[in-house]
Amino acid sequence: MLMLQYQNLLLQSVLSERLDPETPPLGIDQVVSDFDNVTFHISNPDPKDKTVIMVSMYIKCFQDLVKCGAKKILEREYGPYLTEPEPGYDVSLLLNLTDGSIPSDPEQRDELVNKIALLKRNTFAAPFEKAFDKFDQLAEEAAAEGKDLYAPQKSDNEVMAIHYRDEESIYVRPSYDRVTVIFSTIFKDETDRIFGKVFLQEFVDARRRAIQNAPQVLYTQKEPPLEIRDVVKPSSNADNMGYVTFVLFPRHLVASRRENCISHIQIFRDYFHYHIKCSKAYMHSRMRFRVSEFLKVLNRAKQENVVKEKKTASGRTFKHPN
Amino acid sequence: MSQSLRPYLLAVRTSLTAALCLEDFGSQVAERHNVPEVESGKSAEALLNPMTIARNENEMVLIEPSINSVRVSIRIKQADEIERILVHQFTRFLTGRAESFYILRRKPVPGYSISFLITNFHTETMLKHKLVDFIIEFMEVVDKEISEMKLVLNARARFIAESYLVAFD
Repeated sequence: MLMLQYQNLLLQSVLSERLDPETPPLGIDQVVSDFDNVTFHISNPDPKDKTVIMVSMYIKCFQDLVKCGAKKILEREYGPYLTEPEPGYDVSLLLNLTDGSIPSDPEQRDELVNKIALLKRNTFAAPFEKAFDKFDQLAEEAAAEGKDLYAPQKSDNEVMAIHYRDEESIYVRPSYDRVTVIFSTIFKDETDRIFGKVFLQEFVDARRRAIQNAPQVLYTQKEPPLEIRDVVKPSSNADNMGYVTFVLFPRHLVASRRENCISHIQIFRDYFHYHIKCSKAYMHSRMRFRVSEFLKVLNRAKQENVVKEKKTASGRTFKHPN
Repeated sequence: MSQSLRPYLLAVRTSLTAALCLEDFGSQVAERHNVPEVESGKSAEALLNPMTIARNENEMVLIEPSINSVRVSIRIKQADEIERILVHQFTRFLTGRAESFYILRRKPVPGYSISFLITNFHTETMLKHKLVDFIIEFMEVVDKEISEMKLVLNARARFIAESYLVAFD
């Protein structure tokens, strides 16, 4: 599995089973975890009524996302199913299996299930959608004023910060010719830090080498990039902090690619850390193999034991005369 | 095998074979104790001259012989940060399994990556020339393994970076 999926697979499989009219309604109470401190809770609000299913989601940085218009997106995507959030959660969807709100056509039902499985992705999309819309607006203004594209310019556009993990954040900043997305990332482990550096270096170089159309990637350590210098809170861990900047150019922001771009950039951190862990696991299995090879060589040094019980043809133990 | 590696390994092999001339020797300090003299270091007359065989400033072997034990310490090449961490992980992995390696010392001598302690009890149960073979093979393979791991890491990083960025197109 090279790429991580955008949707939550467990959520998807549980719901597609539950929403199938052929399966008998069963009581359900399941907590599903996702990346970035996101938790889903699938339950029956009324334990006696098994035909009503509630899907709730908790996001650590929900307030940040609401500021960027997450509510509007949720309304757009899940309008008829949205309900009052369950206590302890931020978003809740109510699915009633009996009142006809669930489409009976299997294909449409699958579509709904997929949409719900993308709940996290859609909520996190808010700052990106807002930034992309702002970019459209700024680009139009710039075209009207006849500004030179790609000319460096100081702009005072607001930076949207989403503090989605304890010490890590995403910063999104629209401009008239680009959208800048900055991930701050921290490595808890020395090995992770060094592996991460190798990986990030390759991200930076990949564009130069092979893929000219990819977004530009920049990487800085300790020092936050200029764009977000005023927004970053001083942290005790500043030395271990790295900043990965993605510069999305207009070519990535055309309407047909927009959705894919949002999904894809969201999974960057998870993808990146996932592959660091994978390399560590691979190294581990390699070392395991190497150690067993070494042991084989060492065991060759051992003398074969000459004292061995010998038996005669009739099965009696043969004893040496002395 | 590269031009400078062969004489280096040959020097280690001959020195080690010469040093592995061990006999049972009870402690002169404590009655009824029998400890590796090179580790206790309490009777100077039981220790022999240590020697260092260096290929370059980053790769060397220290052989410390004594009457009943030999300590062999190896400094593995660590050219950069990645190799340093890989060597660290690899030696930690090995020392964690010191029990099954008999001659492996749990802690390396300061300044070296990994140490072996061979006592007279080991040479009594194991063949001396095979023990030397093991040390030499270890030195040969470990360098290869570290540089291979580094290559694999780089190749993987390149591949995943490209496949992530391609999806934006």
